[in-house]
Amino acid sequence: MKKWSMQGFFKWLNNSESSTKVISSIIAILGGLLVGFLVMLAIDPSKAGIGLWTILTGTFRDGTRSFGQTIHYSVPIILTGISVAFAFRTGLFNIGATGQLTMGAFAAVYVGINWTFLGPLHWIVAVIAGALVGALWGSIPGLLKAYRNVNEVVASIMLNYIGSFLSILLIKTYIYNQELARALSPAASAYLPRLSQLITTHRSSLNFGFIIALIVVAVTHIILNKTTFGYQLKSVGFNRDASRYAGINEKRNIILAMTISGAIAGIAGATMYLVPGRLMTIESSLLQEGFTGIAISLLGLSSPIGVLFAGLFYGALEMGGFYLQVTTRFVPQIIEIIIAVIIYFSALALFFQKYVQFVINKVVPESEVGHE
Amino acid sequence: MKKFMMLFVALSIVFTLAACGGADTFEIAMITDYGDIDDESFNQGTWEGIVEWAEANDKTYAYYRPSEVSDAAYLESIELAISAGARIVITPGFLFSAAVGEAQTLHPDVSFVLIDAVPNGGVGENTVSVLFAEHESGFLAGYAAVRNGARRLGFMGGIAVPAVVRFGVGYIAGAYYAADELGVNISFPANRYVYLGTFGPSDEVRTRALSWYQDGSDIIFAAAGGAGTSVMSAAEAANKFMVGVDVDQSYLSTSVLTSAMKDLGSAVATALDGFFGDSFPGGQTLTLGANNNGVALPNDFSRFVDFTTVDYNTLYSRVASGAIDVPASHAELVSFFSAQGLTGLDIGASDIQP
Amino acid sequence: MIPVIEMRNITKTFPGIKANDNVSLELRPGEIHALLGENGAGKSTLMSVLFGLYPLDEGSILVHGEEVEIKNPNDANKLGIGMVHQHFKLLDNFSVLENIILGFEDTHRGFLKYDEAHQKVIALSEKYKLKVDPDALIRNISVGQQQRVEILKMLYRDADILIFDEPTAVLTPQEIDELLNIMRNLTEEGKSIILITHKLKEIRMIADRCTILRKGKGIGTVTVKDVTNEKLAEMMVGRKVIFNVDKGPSKPKEIVLEAEGLTVFDSLTRQSVVKDVSFKLREGEILTIAGIEGNGQTELVYGLTGLKPIASGKLLLHGEDATTWSIKKRNEEGIAHIPEDRQKYGLVLDFSLENNMILQQYNDSRFHHRGFFKFDAIRDYAERIIEKYDVRSGKGPLTYARSMSGGNQQKAILGREIERQTNIVIAVQPTRGLDVGAIEFIHNTLIKLRDEGKAVLLISLELDEVMTLSDRILVMYEGELVGAFDPKKTDEYELGLYMSGSKKTEVLS
Repeated sequence: MKKWSMQGFFKWLNNSESSTKVISSIIAILGGLLVGFLVMLAIDPSKAGIGLWTILTGTFRDGTRSFGQTIHYSVPIILTGISVAFAFRTGLFNIGATGQLTMGAFAAVYVGINWTFLGPLHWIVAVIAGALVGALWGSIPGLLKAYRNVNEVVASIMLNYIGSFLSILLIKTYIYNQELARALSPAASAYLPRLSQLITTHRSSLNFGFIIALIVVAVTHIILNKTTFGYQLKSVGFNRDASRYAGINEKRNIILAMTISGAIAGIAGATMYLVPGRLMTIESSLLQEGFTGIAISLLGLSSPIGVLFAGLFYGALEMGGFYLQVTTRFVPQIIEIIIAVIIYFSALALFFQKYVQFVINKVVPESEVGHE
Repeated sequence: MKKFMMLFVALSIVFTLAACGGADTFEIAMITDYGDIDDESFNQGTWEGIVEWAEANDKTYAYYRPSEVSDAAYLESIELAISAGARIVITPGFLFSAAVGEAQTLHPDVSFVLIDAVPNGGVGENTVSVLFAEHESGFLAGYAAVRNGARRLGFMGGIAVPAVVRFGVGYIAGAYYAADELGVNISFPANRYVYLGTFGPSDEVRTRALSWYQDGSDIIFAAAGGAGTSVMSAAEAANKFMVGVDVDQSYLSTSVLTSAMKDLGSAVATALDGFFGDSFPGGQTLTLGANNNGVALPNDFSRFVDFTTVDYNTLYSRVASGAIDVPASHAELVSFFSAQGLTGLDIGASDIQP
Repeated sequence: MIPVIEMRNITKTFPGIKANDNVSLELRPGEIHALLGENGAGKSTLMSVLFGLYPLDEGSILVHGEEVEIKNPNDANKLGIGMVHQHFKLLDNFSVLENIILGFEDTHRGFLKYDEAHQKVIALSEKYKLKVDPDALIRNISVGQQQRVEILKMLYRDADILIFDEPTAVLTPQEIDELLNIMRNLTEEGKSIILITHKLKEIRMIADRCTILRKGKGIGTVTVKDVTNEKLAEMMVGRKVIFNVDKGPSKPKEIVLEAEGLTVFDSLTRQSVVKDVSFKLREGEILTIAGIEGNGQTELVYGLTGLKPIASGKLLLHGEDATTWSIKKRNEEGIAHIPEDRQKYGLVLDFSLENNMILQQYNDSRFHHRGFFKFDAIRDYAERIIEKYDVRSGKGPLTYARSMSGGNQQKAILGREIERQTNIVIAVQPTRGLDVGAIEFIHNTLIKLRDEGKAVLLISLELDEVMTLSDRILVMYEGELVGAFDPKKTDEYELGLYMSGSKKTEVLS
């Protein structure tokens, strides 16, 4: 670690490539919060202050419960965010996380309902099933891209719809609950173990999903930064021609990247539905988590650790939005506005990066920078 | 830099001031299921019932949206409502069965009203379950439609959940019953009885409804929540009528002939009257049908040409008294047909319960 | 005598760099004035300012003694300033005439006055001896003729101040002679010319005076006949330059690479762009394939290295049939490849320098243990290359390749490829766009490799380079090898005849 000093900070500002990126992500967040605040001001100026305060502090409002709940909300978003980020590092835009998530969720729920003979391993196998089917679904655009040069964006968008409708068909055929017009509930042994089972006084929904998310963060971080495999993926992502020149098998890497990306989205689906009372529906609409993952991946600068924090931030917003209902009478949709604005601002990150660099050059006094 | 500091200071002041203000409390709470209170259907009907009653009785009220659809999130919302001072929590929809089942034991001091379902583990002493006889409501609508001249009928249900199925069965029964009375033949083929698989509006639903109308359907009963608005828009385009559901939907479109209502308002009012009058029917399951004014068509019959308030009242009293035993399932429908000597049923068990 | 153009104390700053720092230039009527400098010395910036492409920060421009403001190329055109760009700006599917009048069309009630334009073009081409068929399509005429079209375009717009940006880079020696003649004709007719170049020979042959730029600064203006080439070079580079490369006779040994009737297709058109090419490459020699750009050299290298499949024929490496080997296998079995496009193929620009140094060898057990990188070993390896090949960069091994200069990028690639210790080195235009210092370094490195017994296949467009480095020369024209030469027994003019397809002999491999 660098020694912390004001001069060191200025140096980091001036030199580090990442500083401008991090700053532009923070600007995106502040922009989103500002617009949310303005909307609240427009609706009810007397409550806007407390509204913003609630959004920012909701996580801590109800002690360990709200804290656990925040983390719980962030889990699927962290996972879809990493799914998108991982593919993106290989130069692929996986807009199909939603379809992979849906198919993975179906597989997890199917195993959760039927394979009750597994005992304590039940939920683990269900999550693995989700990962495998998600991987299968992700590999399709990968194969098409590698061997037929089909644009992965188009292929994965289409597979979102195919996955969504196919899951409806499969649910209706195999695991349908007529009474509720939804999928059946997984067996209790397939639910992700909850923290409240360990600490009986704990009241949040926080479950093993977060541990899974942390494992995925760690594994993807290590793959991308420490291994020859990650090196190949990034190399293909940055420069396909140079990778080919170097003898790296770009087809294999494209397929692997999409497969892993799909597996992570599949795990996200498993964590979403191996939860009591969350039943897969047969409504023909796409799950939003996959798309939110794109935004979180952007905000997290396509790095697993960045996505972890961006996802936790998302969870905190959700939690804050929830409490907005008691501290003010603002509708929780304010949170959706804030997140949408953050997405827009993240997409403008490139612009911010340039602007931030410009401002740094102007603001940071040259004498502070020193020379190397 | 100075400007930034100013902004920062200003914001801090706003926060500090805001944080000092205490939050209000709300005695009556509603939790929405996955829709919102403006779903023009179930949530909205319940919410309007609460608003009406609370305003009349000067009580505080609020609604809460769960952050996701899961038992834990529903329970969390219920507890959020309780933390905000709720003494009675009203939850519309079968999805709340588990959450209310848990909440009624965790919070014995709070009363719960679960609409359309029974809590898991049974109805607690501090809970009342409210069910509706949707088939009776559907019967009234089917009867009125045929009496008004409709001969070719259609039904679009959202998803084949029990309540929607009951609407559909009652609607079939009512239509054939009226046809028999009038001595006319009606057409209600199996391919005009469908479940859309969604409660959401879409162009797809509109196109489908429009094709039915263009193919000769006189009227479509849309027991499909928000998807009903797509049917309305198709009916407008075809210059024909449809039948709304749950609440009086006539204000949404001129094409709404009538609506097969569940009187959510009166269900809510009954529960709230009881709660604040210290006669809360805790532990009970109330089934609201024609016999206790729980289902109805709207009072306004101005869009009918051949069906009047008098006709309606006559029919209603016969349903209420049990003189007409409205069927609620396919099996009952079949026996209803033979008991009443009706013929021409084209819709089979697998259509009604896919 | 009033100068036609006077640029006084021009300063132009880009973020982080002073591209022109107080530069002055004076163009006299009827003269050919050379603008000499290395890549990045600020020649193009200065001319872009004159042509209205960039606004100037400080200084002033006078045309025929009057101060003017040139805000865009249209202003420049109105003042009679025209520019022949290094990369021609012509539409392939339009005729010569259409290209000339494009943007300057005379119309009569909405109809083009084709006949008048036609006559004017013919008159101009006769007056200035610019032979070209006005009705031919651009894609059907040679590069030299295309250049004439560019010149005609300026003349058609009545330009009397002509700027030529590196005009000889794409021409054969014969075409260069013709161009120089044309330029002389132009000045005789009263035109004034600025010639941007880094080739001393051309300046010597044609320029009256020469202004030298170095690192954005004006070093001075000299009368060409008063100074020696050595003096010019020194002014350009800032130090004494040794022109002679120290090179002993070659000692060719084993054949390590052999092409037998290689044919490679263009991926789009499915036409063969390398046709039945056969040659042998031996250890201890530099074999050069000379030719004008776009005659199949690029594709030949792709075929040898595996970037494109070999459609027919055979490739032998160390006697083994390598025709269908993967790129990886060819890398491992002894081919080092210094690619033509260093930014497209040579480097991953968003990787750090050290990551670029292991591009082919990331999977070597020196650099990883069971898939996990040994970062220290990579760092050491990169630092060694950086030191040995004098790669200069801001943050050493951590520098992003994108932020490095072209010369240092090229040295990094050179170092990486040579350090792989292969015995075949394929170098494609290794000195393109580099300054004199880097060129010297690369030339000496290639000769050293040869002397160490490596086989070097050099692809070059620069005849100077070809003559200096080669032990044997093959000339490629339209995908075929059309001549084989011993550099001691040929000269640039003979090579030029073969390169332009005017002559052809059977090449025996």
